Amino acid sequence: MSTVGEFARFAWRSLVCQFTQLPPFETWVRQTYQAGVGSIALLTVLIVFAGLNLSVQSYATFERFGGQDFLGMFAGVGGVRELYPVMAAIVCGARIGANLAAALANMKISEQVEALEVMSVDPMRHLVAPRLWAVVLALPLLCGYANVIGIGASYFGAVHLLGLDAGTFNSQIEQFVRLQDLLVGVGKGLVFGWIVAVIACFHGYRAAKRDGAEGVGIATNRAIVHGAVVCICLNLAMSWVLYG
Amino acid sequence: MNSVLRALANVGEVTVFFADVVRTALTRPRYVGETLRIMWVLVLRCIIPVGLAVAPVGAVIALQGLDIFRLFGLDRMLSSLLGSAIFREYSPALASVMVAAQAGSSIAARIGTMRVRGQIDALAVMSVDPMRYVVVPGVIACAIVTPLLNVLTNILGVASGWLFAVPLGGVDHGAFVEHLAAQITPADLWIGQGKCVLFGTSVGLIAGFLGMRVKGGAEAVGQAANDTVTQTIVMILLVDYVVSMAFLGAGL
Repeated sequence: MSTVGEFARFAWRSLVCQFTQLPPFETWVRQTYQAGVGSIALLTVLIVFAGLNLSVQSYATFERFGGQDFLGMFAGVGGVRELYPVMAAIVCGARIGANLAAALANMKISEQVEALEVMSVDPMRHLVAPRLWAVVLALPLLCGYANVIGIGASYFGAVHLLGLDAGTFNSQIEQFVRLQDLLVGVGKGLVFGWIVAVIACFHGYRAAKRDGAEGVGIATNRAIVHGAVVCICLNLAMSWVLYG
Repeated sequence: MNSVLRALANVGEVTVFFADVVRTALTRPRYVGETLRIMWVLVLRCIIPVGLAVAPVGAVIALQGLDIFRLFGLDRMLSSLLGSAIFREYSPALASVMVAAQAGSSIAARIGTMRVRGQIDALAVMSVDPMRYVVVPGVIACAIVTPLLNVLTNILGVASGWLFAVPLGGVDHGAFVEHLAAQITPADLWIGQGKCVLFGTSVGLIAGFLGMRVKGGAEAVGQAANDTVTQTIVMILLVDYVVSMAFLGAGL
């Protein structure tokens, strides 16, 4: 319980730091590049298979009552609204979040954070805020990218591997995937990015010197797991509010 | 050329490691007590994150599926989509991803730490085969724990789907249960369980491999734990696709 309170305080403080003063442009660009471009290869592989899988699975399900032609709608709507943003968030947690937590925990146990405080540099402003801005910028972009790749992959799966009619698939996508859905996907990415980054920074920041190297491992592990769980639960909440 | 050679060397290393694990697992002596201990630790560590990760998925499928099925007046059929999606695909895949994130990374970190501190070599000096005592119990524990957790997440997923379909979505309870019972075959359940065994084994194998390969210090340990998670997620999605395609071809 006290951890939750501590987390809430940390999240509030980082939000304040984020908006009172923008981070130095160069740090920001470097962090965003690391977080975003570094994840593209992994995300591409994952989303291609997730998209193909979505086609194959829903084909198997819809075949039971002869509704194969609606696969385009299902793959498009389900993918763009739910699957791809969540996948991107999990990947982001597993890669970007773990890196953030490890970097901060390392600085913490080697007392670099205390050193900054001694020099009267606020570590929240100097270390946490640029990283948060970086992920908040990178993840919506990654989500948008994932939407494109994912729809492409499920098109390929449906039309070329399962032999559905290309025209039917395209018209389904055009008819049912609206601009709002794409924007919701990207918006989810924004929220997920912020929350994953805050959780990762929180766990990294909390690593204590006495835990030593193991503390780094614990921090990364918690960053990944808590990030994924919180994103999945938040996704339900957001979908419920938006579509329920 | 050099990178090709390095990739080939990696493939060879992985193959030798896997063959070694299989050989060690099949021969005596077996450390059953150690395996059970690891299994218990894994269950305790994974049960909450895995449950929390899979339960919302059933609710989301119900929420979005209802939207779509309503268009055709098919909302009575929702439970057949929900059931097959949960049992065959989402519960096994997500449960395994969370096992990889929680258990796989901690196994890799533990083995890596033992490696860095020289404890693995110490075991070998005491003529305890580290593969037998450290790696194989981890692999077996993952292979058994993942399907067990999957049983729980199947129930949670369908229950949360029911919650969003029946009390909140206005689907008839009788229709929900009837379509669930009529459309879901035992094959769906067993396919999910089989996938979990496959994914769980590979979580253990990848964690063991990356953990045993650690060289250097604390940073390498963290890297191994991290790599375990990302590589396992990629592997799970890839295998999931191949398996789904194969079952579709076989008409199951």
